[in-house]
Amino acid sequence: MGNYQMTDTDNILEIDTIEVVYDSVIAALHDVSLSVPRGKIVALLGGNGAGKSTTLKAVSTMLAGERGKVTQGSITYDGIPVTNQDPADMVGLGLVQVLEGRRCFGHLTVEENIISGAYSRRLGKAQIRDELDKIYGYFKRLKDRRKSQAGFTSGGEQQMVAVARAMMAKPRMLLLDEPSMGLAPQLVAEIFNIVNELNQKEGVSILLAEQNTNVALRNADYGYIIETGHVMLHGSAESLLADEKVKELYLGISREGRKNFRDVLRRESTRHAGIHH
Amino acid sequence: MTEFLFFIEVVVAGLLAGTMYSLVALGFVLIYKASSTFNFAQGAMVFFAVLSFVGFMEWGLPFVVAFLVTIALMALVGLATERLVLKPLRNQSEDTLLMATIGLGFVLEGLAQAAWGVEVRRLDLGIGDFPIQWIIDSTGLFISALDLTAGLVAATLIIALALLFKYTRMGLGLRAVADDPGAASSIGIPLGSIMLMVWTAAGIVALVAGMMWGARAGVQFALVDLALKALPVLIIGGFSSIPGAIIGGLIIGATEKVLEVYIGPFFGGAIEGWAPYVLAIFFLLWRPEGLFGEKIIRRV
Repeated sequence: MGNYQMTDTDNILEIDTIEVVYDSVIAALHDVSLSVPRGKIVALLGGNGAGKSTTLKAVSTMLAGERGKVTQGSITYDGIPVTNQDPADMVGLGLVQVLEGRRCFGHLTVEENIISGAYSRRLGKAQIRDELDKIYGYFKRLKDRRKSQAGFTSGGEQQMVAVARAMMAKPRMLLLDEPSMGLAPQLVAEIFNIVNELNQKEGVSILLAEQNTNVALRNADYGYIIETGHVMLHGSAESLLADEKVKELYLGISREGRKNFRDVLRRESTRHAGIHH
Repeated sequence: MTEFLFFIEVVVAGLLAGTMYSLVALGFVLIYKASSTFNFAQGAMVFFAVLSFVGFMEWGLPFVVAFLVTIALMALVGLATERLVLKPLRNQSEDTLLMATIGLGFVLEGLAQAAWGVEVRRLDLGIGDFPIQWIIDSTGLFISALDLTAGLVAATLIIALALLFKYTRMGLGLRAVADDPGAASSIGIPLGSIMLMVWTAAGIVALVAGMMWGARAGVQFALVDLALKALPVLIIGGFSSIPGAIIGGLIIGATEKVLEVYIGPFFGGAIEGWAPYVLAIFFLLWRPEGLFGEKIIRRV
C-alpha cells in the first residue's frame, strides 16, 4: 500500500480512464489512462486521428476552445485535479502545451515570440534578458535569427521558437504535440536533442505526442500506443522498440504491408474483445 | 497662384479631417486585430461616448473630470461587452460576432438616448472653427483652428497607441492574440483581459473622435453614420493594419474634400457623403486586401 502511494506521488501527471466528447456528440477518446513520472519523457504514439492531440488538450484544458469536454474519468496534474481551470491557469501551475503545427506569431520577431511566453510571469526587463540568455543557450540557432519576423523563418526554426516560447513560461511539465511534423530528419534530431537537454538540465517532465514512433521511442523513457481513442499497448521505451507488433506496425518492419494495430492484436490473442469500429 | 493656394488649403483641410477618420478607423483595426470582426458598434460607441461626456459636463463636472469619467464609462462598456457578448460567443464564427456587434450598436444607441435624451447638444471645446491668423500671415493659407487641433490630437493619440502596442507587455499580448489566439492562450495570455484593453482603447478613440466632430457639427445621432466612414478607410488601408488606417484616413479625407470642391458642383454638391464609398469600390476591384492589408490567401 505504502509502495503504491509512493509511485502515485511520483507521477507529475495522472490520466485516469478519460472519455472526451466533441460538440456533445463525437467521442474522440474512450478510455485513455496514462501517467507521466516526474522528470521523465513519455511518448504518446499513434496514427492520425488516434486521439493524441485530444489527450494533450484535455490536460492543458485547451479542449474547451474546440468545444470538446472531458465527460468521464479524471486528470490529476501535480496532485491537483484538472477540472474547471483554463489554459492560463494551467500555465500558472507550470504546465504548458506546445501546439501541433508550431503556431508561431508570424508577425512578431523570433525574440518577441519567445518573450511572449513569459507574459504570465510579469518579469522586469532585466529578468527577461536573463531568461532569454538562458533560452538562447539551448536554442543557439534562434539567437542569430532573433530579429527576424517569425513567419519568414524555416519550419525547424519555428518549431524551436514554439518550444522556446513555452520554456519562457518556466514550465515543470511540457506537452509537445508532433514536434517532428514536416521536418527533415536532421532537424528532428536537433530538436529532440534540445528536448532531452531541457528534460535533463531543467528537470522538465515531458509528454510527447508523435507519429514518428522510432524517433519518439529512442528519446523517451516510456511509451503509450493509442488508436481510435483507446490505449492499445504501453511499456518502457526499450520494450516497445523491441516489441514485434510495434516493429511490424510502426517501425516499418513488416512482411504483409500496413494494417490496423487491432488486427495484429486480434491475431495474437482472442482475449481482446469488445472494441468495435 | 491664388488658385494653387486654394488647392493646398483644400488638401490640408482634407488631410486634417482625414486624421479623424484615421482615428476612428484605428478603433476598428484594434478590434479587428483582436477578434477578427468588423465592429459595427464603433459608430454607436462614438455617439455614446461623446453624448455621455456632454451629459457629464452639463452636470457641472469640470472638463478634465468629465473626460476621465467618460473614459472609465467606456472601460465599463468594454468590460460588459467582453463578459456579456464576446465571452459567450468565443470560438463561434466571425459572422456570428459581426451580427453581435450590430446588436451591440443598437443597444448603445438606445442606452445613450435613454440616458441623455435625443436633442442635439452643443459641445464647446473653446476652439473656434475659423482660420488661424498667424498661418494666414505667414503662408496665406486659411486653416481652421479646430481642424488643426483635431489633426494634432488624432496624430498624438495614434502615435501613443502605436508605441503602446510596440513596446509594452500588454501590447505584445495584443499582437500575439491578433496573430493566433489559440497559441496565445496556450502560453497563458488571458484573452479576456486583452479584449478588455482593446475595447477600452477603442472607447477612448471613439470619445476623442466624437468630441472633435461634435464640436463642429453638434453632438447628435448623425455621428453614428459619420463613424461608418471608417469603412472605406479600412477598405483602402486594410482591415488589420494600423499604418493602413492612418494612410487610408488621410487619403479619404483629402480626396473627398478635393472632389467636393472641384467635381462637386457638377453633381449639385454634397458628394463628400458618397465619394469615399466610390473610391472604396475601385479599391475593392483593384486591391481587395487594401494598401497595407495582408494578401488574402485562402485554400479551397
